[in-house]
Amino acid sequence: MNSNQEIVSLKNVVKNYGSGQVAIKALQDIDLKIYKGDFSVMMGPSGCGKSTLLNIIGGLDRVTSGSVIFNGKDFNLLTNKELSLIRRNEIGFVFQNYNLLPVLTAYENAEYVLMLQNIPISQRKEKVMNLFKEMDLEGLENRLPRELSGGQQQRVAIARAVVSNPLLVLADEITANVDSKTAQSLLTLMEKLNKTNNTTFLFSTHDPIVKNFARKVILLKDGLIDKEEQASKNI
Amino acid sequence: MSAKLLLLIIKISWLSLWRNKRRTFISLFSIIIGTGIPIFFVCIAWGFYAGLIDDVARLMSGHITYEHKDYRNSPSNDLWVGDTIKINNTLTNNDNILFTKQIVNLQGVAHTAKGSVGISLMGIEPKKEIAISFLPENIIEGKYLSKVDERLVVVGEKLAKNLNIAIGKKFVFTTNDIKGELTEELFRVKGIFKTGSKEIDGHLIQSNIAIARKVAGLSNDEISQLGIIVKNPDEHEVLIDELQKSLAKNNGIFLSWQKIMPDVATTIRMDRTAITFFMIMLVVIVLFTMFSTILMSTLERKREFASLLAIGTQQIELKVQIFFETIFFGLIGCPLGALVGVGVAKWTEGYDMLNVVGGKSEDMSVGGFGMDTVITPLFSAPLIMQICFFFFLAVQLLSFFPIHLISKISITDELRSA
Repeated sequence: MNSNQEIVSLKNVVKNYGSGQVAIKALQDIDLKIYKGDFSVMMGPSGCGKSTLLNIIGGLDRVTSGSVIFNGKDFNLLTNKELSLIRRNEIGFVFQNYNLLPVLTAYENAEYVLMLQNIPISQRKEKVMNLFKEMDLEGLENRLPRELSGGQQQRVAIARAVVSNPLLVLADEITANVDSKTAQSLLTLMEKLNKTNNTTFLFSTHDPIVKNFARKVILLKDGLIDKEEQASKNI
Repeated sequence: MSAKLLLLIIKISWLSLWRNKRRTFISLFSIIIGTGIPIFFVCIAWGFYAGLIDDVARLMSGHITYEHKDYRNSPSNDLWVGDTIKINNTLTNNDNILFTKQIVNLQGVAHTAKGSVGISLMGIEPKKEIAISFLPENIIEGKYLSKVDERLVVVGEKLAKNLNIAIGKKFVFTTNDIKGELTEELFRVKGIFKTGSKEIDGHLIQSNIAIARKVAGLSNDEISQLGIIVKNPDEHEVLIDELQKSLAKNNGIFLSWQKIMPDVATTIRMDRTAITFFMIMLVVIVLFTMFSTILMSTLERKREFASLLAIGTQQIELKVQIFFETIFFGLIGCPLGALVGVGVAKWTEGYDMLNVVGGKSEDMSVGGFGMDTVITPLFSAPLIMQICFFFFLAVQLLSFFPIHLISKISITDELRSA
């Protein structure tokens, strides 16, 4: 599934928090490339810089030095508003705590991103309903997040992230709040989306189950890429 | 931002209001109180003022008075206006005017065996006075005047006591005619009135205008004042300009009741200012409550906002969401507040304020004129809407700081704290 189309390219990325002698070096001299169709996972101990790296790739945070090229665009040259538009149109996010809008139904949560993108209603409905069918969310469309289980909420969050066919989906500790069976089913689902739609996924996790699904594992340690390896499981 | 997205944002705003029902109800209660209390006070106070202005205008020389241009500075008997039959006929045909009343005022001294008292004799047309003024209803002894009564007068209760006169008794009135000659007339008391005003009850007598003219030496076409009662007192200033241009003669001037009775006007103005100040204070206190609830509701959703920003929601879209939340607060709270304010004011209608504040009705006076202590609220739709709009606007202003906070949200910090 992996193509040679480069989606993300990080070069000499450094991220410090604070300045001077008290500066905390979260990331040091990171070089990384993500290709279209990748199903990669970043792993490492707490505080190794996984979330920081994910935030930087997602345009949520800026680098102290180095460059982030996303689909040909240099994040350093973009305004916050332009970054926001890239997140809206080209990146999907899945969070540990789902972060669904509690006042909207499952359907409306998934539809929200399409509305931000100004997609016509007929297309929105088709996309969301097809995806819900594919993700076994049929019949749950009109439920509010509080009426769904943790696994169901995370599936809706994944639906929201992939519904607009983004170039890249970033998933931060998505299995942390669900049991192993649910985690397994979520990952199977994402793997299926990766295969059928060639959606690129990048995970940040502690969970070894996620590693089992990944085709590329990036091991981080003390803000550095310790090891980058192709996983044993090949698709 | 597309219309569909705006509708979704509005929907999110509306639904977000009801995520914490208790807080929403507290906020709405604050707005209802904040709008309702000022509206209640304004309805009551403005009702008192309107009643007072109307009573004084009808008793004295109208909402608009036509008189000699120097009469205000020195109200002497020789300052009169002429050609009033023609002017009066023109005014009678004006759609904005309810009534006109011709008045001859004479300052002089009333004598009896007991002594002398400086008084003001007001020559009026009894039939009109009965239709216009509340004084004929306040006769406590004897009867009010009629057209045929020539040397009969009605006097105030206090004046009757001071002069030691009763119904049917006589007294001599001494004054100057318009030529400055001293003149006297014998009057007999037909009725005694009590208005509750010390000034009026102690110094005013009313007679038929014909005898007053005769004493003053005025013709049928000449009077001291022409009082005009208008249909809409709030718009009388506009009418004054119109009348001054079209009807005033060389020595005549049309004046508003505020200039004729400056004491009453000043007292009302001061009272209104005090009430307005009090209401602003109240509104500020209520707005503080509102501010804290709106702020809290924004702060506790920072993580939610951060995740929305992360998935590509623009800051402006979140700001619009918060703005609509306060719009909903205002749209629900302000009309309900108005209903409560008007409802309570309506409920108190007819209640005598003396039951609350105590004292006697004759002690309740403004600028020397007795005040009706029975609550008669004035429900002025423009005024009520003005207060609602003011409060609605104030609530919207409260959202500016929480909206500003949206710009300060650090997405990564908020998501990390999750």
